[in-house]
Amino acid sequence: MKIKITHFLYIIVVLFFGSVLHAQTVTGVVSDMNGPLPGINVIEKGTSNGVATDFDGHYSITVIDPEAILVFSGLGFISTELAVNGRTQINVELSEDLETLDEVVLVGYSSQKKSTLTGAVSVVNMTDLEKTRVVNVSKALQGQVAGVQVTSSTGAPGDPIQVRIRGEGTIGNNDPLYVIDGIPTRDINFLNPADIESMSILKDASAAAIYGSRASGGVVLITTKSGKVGKVSFDVNYYTGISYASNLPTMLNTEQYMNTLEKAWNNSSRTGSNPYTADKGRVDFSDTDWLDELFETGKSQNLQLTASGGSEKIQFLLSLGYNDQDGIVIYDHDKYKRLNYRTNLNIDLTERLKIGTNLQLTYATQDALSSKGDEPGIIRHALLRPPVLGVYKDVNDPTYSVNDPFTDLPFYKHNNKDSGGWESDKYEWSQNPIALAYFTDDVRSSFRTFGNIYAEYSFLKDKELTFRTNVGVDLSFYHNKKFNTNFGDDDGGGSDRDKGQGRQNRPNSLNEDRAESRTITFNNTLNYVKTFDDKHDLSLLVGTEFIENYDSSISASRMRYGVTDPTFRYIDYGGTEVDLWNGGSASEWALFSVFGSGTYVYDGKYMVTANLRADASSRFSENNRWGYFPSISAGWKISDENFLKDVSWLSNLKLRAGWGRLGNQEIDNYAYLTLISQVDGKVVVDRYGNDDLKWETSESSNFGIDLGFLQNQLSMSADYFVKRTTDILLPVGLPSIVGDVSPTIVNAGEVLNKGFEFTLNYRNSNHAFKYGANANFATLINSVEKLQTREVGQSLNSFFGYKMEGIYQNQAEIDAHLSGTLNPSVKPGDIKFADLNNDGIINSDDRTFTGDAIPDFTYGVTVFANYKGFDFSCMFQGVEGVDKYNDAKKIVDYDTRPFNYTTHILGAWDGEGTSNSIPRVTFEDNGSSKQSSIYVEDASYFRLKNIEIGYTVNAIQGLQDLRFYISGQNLLTSTKYTGLDPESTDTTDKGTYPLASSVLFGINVKF
Amino acid sequence: MKTFYKSLFAISLFITFLGCNDELTKDPIGLLTMDQVDTTPTLNTLESSVSSSYQLLSSTLNLVGDWQWDDGTVTRNDFILQDIASNDMNKKWNPDGDQAWMDELSAFNFTAENGAFNGIWLYDYEGINRINLAISYLTNSEVTQSVGISDARKNQLLGEVHFLRAFYYFDLVNNFGDVPLLTEPLTSFAEAFEVAVRVPASEIWTQINADLVAAKELLPNSKYPSPSEPWRVSKGAVIALQAKAALYNEDWSSVVSFLDELDALGFYSLNANYFDSFAVDKEFTDNEVIFAYDHISDQNPRKGNGLSALIGWGFIAPTDNFIEEFEPNDPRLLYTVDVPNQNVSKLLGNTVGDNKGNDDAPSNKIYIRYADVLLWKAEALLEMNDYAGAVSEINQVRERARTTPTADGSAIPAGTLPDRPNSTDAAEIKAWLIHERRVELGFESQRFNDLKRWGIAKAFLTGLGKNFQDKNYLYPIPQREVDKSAGTITQNPGY
Repeated sequence: MKIKITHFLYIIVVLFFGSVLHAQTVTGVVSDMNGPLPGINVIEKGTSNGVATDFDGHYSITVIDPEAILVFSGLGFISTELAVNGRTQINVELSEDLETLDEVVLVGYSSQKKSTLTGAVSVVNMTDLEKTRVVNVSKALQGQVAGVQVTSSTGAPGDPIQVRIRGEGTIGNNDPLYVIDGIPTRDINFLNPADIESMSILKDASAAAIYGSRASGGVVLITTKSGKVGKVSFDVNYYTGISYASNLPTMLNTEQYMNTLEKAWNNSSRTGSNPYTADKGRVDFSDTDWLDELFETGKSQNLQLTASGGSEKIQFLLSLGYNDQDGIVIYDHDKYKRLNYRTNLNIDLTERLKIGTNLQLTYATQDALSSKGDEPGIIRHALLRPPVLGVYKDVNDPTYSVNDPFTDLPFYKHNNKDSGGWESDKYEWSQNPIALAYFTDDVRSSFRTFGNIYAEYSFLKDKELTFRTNVGVDLSFYHNKKFNTNFGDDDGGGSDRDKGQGRQNRPNSLNEDRAESRTITFNNTLNYVKTFDDKHDLSLLVGTEFIENYDSSISASRMRYGVTDPTFRYIDYGGTEVDLWNGGSASEWALFSVFGSGTYVYDGKYMVTANLRADASSRFSENNRWGYFPSISAGWKISDENFLKDVSWLSNLKLRAGWGRLGNQEIDNYAYLTLISQVDGKVVVDRYGNDDLKWETSESSNFGIDLGFLQNQLSMSADYFVKRTTDILLPVGLPSIVGDVSPTIVNAGEVLNKGFEFTLNYRNSNHAFKYGANANFATLINSVEKLQTREVGQSLNSFFGYKMEGIYQNQAEIDAHLSGTLNPSVKPGDIKFADLNNDGIINSDDRTFTGDAIPDFTYGVTVFANYKGFDFSCMFQGVEGVDKYNDAKKIVDYDTRPFNYTTHILGAWDGEGTSNSIPRVTFEDNGSSKQSSIYVEDASYFRLKNIEIGYTVNAIQGLQDLRFYISGQNLLTSTKYTGLDPESTDTTDKGTYPLASSVLFGINVKF
Repeated sequence: MKTFYKSLFAISLFITFLGCNDELTKDPIGLLTMDQVDTTPTLNTLESSVSSSYQLLSSTLNLVGDWQWDDGTVTRNDFILQDIASNDMNKKWNPDGDQAWMDELSAFNFTAENGAFNGIWLYDYEGINRINLAISYLTNSEVTQSVGISDARKNQLLGEVHFLRAFYYFDLVNNFGDVPLLTEPLTSFAEAFEVAVRVPASEIWTQINADLVAAKELLPNSKYPSPSEPWRVSKGAVIALQAKAALYNEDWSSVVSFLDELDALGFYSLNANYFDSFAVDKEFTDNEVIFAYDHISDQNPRKGNGLSALIGWGFIAPTDNFIEEFEPNDPRLLYTVDVPNQNVSKLLGNTVGDNKGNDDAPSNKIYIRYADVLLWKAEALLEMNDYAGAVSEINQVRERARTTPTADGSAIPAGTLPDRPNSTDAAEIKAWLIHERRVELGFESQRFNDLKRWGIAKAFLTGLGKNFQDKNYLYPIPQREVDKSAGTITQNPGY
């Protein structure tokens, strides 16, 4: 061993210094019509001696033979050969190669030329991606790639993002698998978009089968940036900007609200005098626009520093990113901060041995608030809180306190409601959203280490055979800490211990939990790549992979903090008498895989690729542990055939077809076992196992065509796919007669997805004014073919309920419609539901499918142009034919309690013929308590996601580049949806923090 | 070189394979497999399996799910199915559209999807499944020997769960009629669908009686089998439930003989103060309560009464018709509900509104008490034509009522709640009995079953303008259950 190390050292010394002793050095600048080109390979022909240009396009190569020929080549440029002829300086201008533009695309454990791809693989345009100016990589993918749908849980900074590739294949987990530098993961929130060099998306089974059992939701391959040979260069990018809420609904003001309540009271069977008539014009009424009070201008800033460079043997890249977002809700408890540190190192130890590492450290904190739903749902309460209530109490109000100046219960006086303490019968108790935002203290931080270390050794004469071993570490620590401050008015409730305190968070409490997640990935591949006779390209790969995961968590909580100052918000300082809670558990899984892949290309015209992966998962019983996932695909590049070679306008025509099978194992650990839990003093069956549980399988076929015209100025791709998922991992709720057990996972169901995808790219760079467009469009038909034993034929996430037919205009209409019902309790003005079986009764038999949450088609269009130093780009994105269940409308517009309403309700039914779509306002059930189509709304939208204008200054001494830009996000939206945001992930909207519009200003310096 | 890479590759493959084979077959963390329970049981597992079988009788919030109001699982909903359904109770003091499913139940225009049915069905069957698991441990001699549980303790625990199983089935058969019968733990999930078949109510009654017979034999002859744990099922509770089962099957002579057997124990009598059965500070020191669920505040996990929280939110109010049922100056009214202060004292366990709004309150849930028992006896005697005996039992209850100290300390005027005179008019005595049960046992979740047993539910409820129809003598099977069983659990007629 000792000998070997000295041997290595000797080699390093020789490589660094040795060659300088002889021969001749050639230097120069490589450029194109726009200026210097970094990263162009300069190779002495016939040898392995080569360098790459630095960021200024400079190169310096030492050649042994003074008659050597230098080959200049780079991605997207026509390679040029020049004889040295004894010269010491050679400057070259390369011309862009539109025709072949033959990028190398990562397709799994190996890469392939784009021109020979046979599967449905989309390469993400990183320039377009960068311009989205969003800090989340998944989010940035929105509208960029045909067939990839991205939605956000809410618009609050740091809330989760959902990505769907070619629809939803299963009821369970549909998330794609992300592979970063060869290491698979399920979550890329930690990743800084600025650290990404390239991204490709494996959409169909023929491409993704190499990832087998975890690829059924598609695979996103990400390569992070790495250092390049050349002098050290720095890149600084900073932007900052503001954001604001747009498209907010209009709520009733106090006058409209009181008129509406007055009418609702009159429309209810109440006796006595109308209290709202009496209350009109009360002097203690406010006229609060709660949405306006709640939203403020948000701020964000982002700083990115990158340093990279390297010698021929060692290249490095260091980057630091900092992002800080403060959302649009008042009091800044909606924040997200992320700090990214990244290092990349690649070292050629010898001619044949290469080692390297990528290491990412990410620290992120989210100040989370209740951004959706109803617990308590800040947005929801801003919608429903009556305008007659003020935000703050009067300082002279005896119940006012400096620590809690907010109003809570309506017109609160003292803690006994029954003797007139407050008026919640008249103005239903809601929560004060401003107070909720103010008292929120919910910080979630995560620290993640993600990286890999690899070694690669090349064998054989021309290094045709490469062995690569790669170890990945994915280590995360999470810490959530939530302090629930006591606030609000004392409603007289609470246990003896807590009497006299405000009703919210009574008593105060702190919940804290910490979790750890550890995934180790170890993969080994052997890759053989060789071209025979210049015509036969062969690539073979075999490999193994082992992944092991262990998650654990621990939590604690205390209540009744005497001092609630932030410096005391730690577990130790809570009450110790009662309510000390703690918990903790762990789980683990492992996956072992063997895989192989082969590609054969004949003369660049005929190509075939086959993959096979075998996976063994700890999530299945021994009988069903192994799953096998094959695929095959073929392509024919017709444009290279002799009969088309002379057609000058056609630069590319390729047909592709593929078939493959993928798996899914994303279910709870241990789901095949019957398990008994023994926690909290209970001994109960947790879940009945299913020993026959096996892999969910999706089989897909893909047919594609790639077209290029006019030297590929215009290129198009179209794909048609059919993806059938069988043996769906379905959690089946057992009949309750077996008690409250977790659903058993069974393989029961079949889902079919099919669709077309189109991509079109055009660019014209022939003149000083350069412009172009990238567009994509995808359709999707989703249908659940079978569920357990039933035929279904509806799409996943369909809404099921009563179908609204209109509004009952008069009693005669009711009597006719409900002929089978004894004493129907409905009245004119109530919602009329379709009586599907015509029995004159509205009951559960009359429910039907009322809409679905899967879009008919999605699209994105990016247009860009530049002229001299100016550049412009904008991106539109939209979805069409998608429904959402607007549950907020139920409590806002149609609830039977005196909450606020939107102005929509001013058109409510008010006598025969007045409305056939909005039921009467009332405090009785007007049919609005039923799940029905009245809440199912078209959530299609068309959005200007991004627009950016920049100016680049070139001629500054010492700087390579200086660019200023101004960028806008979500500036225009067109939708019919009446909720706050049509884009949110949840199919049921209970009042969701909307996506903000923002305007940013940025500067980018390279030197 | 070739051999080098071959061996390198082979080695790395070998290492990963070796490493992973173990990793792929580890035992689950924090959960027991069936094998582990059978091979390494602990005393704690046995004890917990029994104590957790009680839990579904509690009013603790969110024992199942988390605030799933529409599923009817937020708390055990006897108060909806019995007290609201019988129109003793309104959903809230101020009618509104909140929890419309409760109003639908009250109006009898509900569908089978109503959460109330789903909730009670799930609570009862969850209890039964915990019991079946407990019985399988306690009757497995390998398990009991290996944990070293004493025979006396084992018999006591077994007796308790037999009683509890009878109790849950009693509730199911009265609400739903024919129901699936499960008496053993499942061995596989597929079995869940095999047992999803309704068996005739008579078989359920047979099981109830068999369980009670078994429990009576197993439980010791003392008022509290374990004095330190007075909340546990006692022999008295078993005999009382036997009597109640006989009553519901109109087996009048058995009712009387069971109650004689109960009296022979000498453990139970009427409290001097009507409210002592409910008062938090009298729990397990009074003479009257025979079976109750013991709510305790500040426990981890929670064991408190959550109904007090609902009361704080304005839920649970008396109907006018219920209040009108009370004779003038009947002190039981104020003990049941303090209308001016909107305090449901009987359920809060105090008369001053304490714990209103507390989701972790200490007040117990009373299931069987001696006054109820006396009125069963009155009913049985009446049906056996022993009119004097029947009137005498009713008068015992009335006498205690009129002699009880009042909630507000006021004196009860003379002539209040006079003794019923002797009568030979069976209908008249029945009317007295019906009245007495309603006011004595108001808000104790007995009334709707009574109305059904007596066959007067339709007449009474339609008289109040409710949409009660003959089919409503049985509640519908939860629609979700019919769906989940793919129809093998059939729906009751008319739904």
